Amino acid sequence: MERYAGQARRVARAVLGDPDDADDAAQDGFLSALVKLGQYDARRPFGPWLMRIVANAATDRRRRRNVRRVEPLDPSLVGGGPRPDAAAIRNELGDRLRSALAELPERRRTAVVLFDVEGYSHAEIAGILGIPEGTVRSEVFHGRRRLRTLLADWKEQTR
Amino acid sequence: MKDSPSFDHRPDPELGVALRAALESSGDQSAFVARVMAQYQSALERETIPTLDVLASWFRPGIAAAAAALFVGFLFGRAVLAPAPASIDAAMAPSEGPGLAALVTAQDPPDASVVFTSLVEPQ
Repeated sequence: MERYAGQARRVARAVLGDPDDADDAAQDGFLSALVKLGQYDARRPFGPWLMRIVANAATDRRRRRNVRRVEPLDPSLVGGGPRPDAAAIRNELGDRLRSALAELPERRRTAVVLFDVEGYSHAEIAGILGIPEGTVRSEVFHGRRRLRTLLADWKEQTR
Repeated sequence: MKDSPSFDHRPDPELGVALRAALESSGDQSAFVARVMAQYQSALERETIPTLDVLASWFRPGIAAAAAALFVGFLFGRAVLAPAPASIDAAMAPSEGPGLAALVTAQDPPDASVVFTSLVEPQ
């Protein structure tokens, strides 16, 4: 469980945005997985099976609640003023990425996080999200394009 | 980071690292794991019912079912063990009194009392 805890929390946060809700959803996912452990086919990789349960738990939680959306970045934080230190720069990038993720459709941002952060293949993500592999490729492509643009702009500004 | 617009089959390490940092929760990982395990244990305890409670829940329906089975068995046994006539001749054998035999052998139409007597007369 230690091994997958971080991954489950990140995937849940990609779906929900709010870290507390994400932790609750990751916990729901783990508990559900522990109950369903008898249904797990040991011939298949464990990670995609678990992430499917966690992603479903996060989606269920998002549907049940009106999840607080990530607040858009305060424009005063972008440019101007004294040069912030490295930690503040990292925080700023994190804020901007989270805002950008929040603007993406849920399936798209989950697909990008599963592919680029967690390293799952397109086929595995298709299994996790229950969608065709071609759709996963398309979602990853479109999600990346938005995030890469943001990251490139941020690098330009911090030079 | 790649700027290629084409579909890429490999993860983008730079984007991955930045996203990971953005999505990382500030809370302690081991505290999270401990919280989940505590929830799991308490869920298990809620699900576990002591054996005696299970047996006690079976007690009353069990007694009722046993009583019903005994009663049905008694009725069935009585029906099966009741003496049956050994043969058709025994069944038709005249019994004492002016019953069936009198009715069968009479030359004249029977009196109503004889007919009723033959109907209620034990074999």
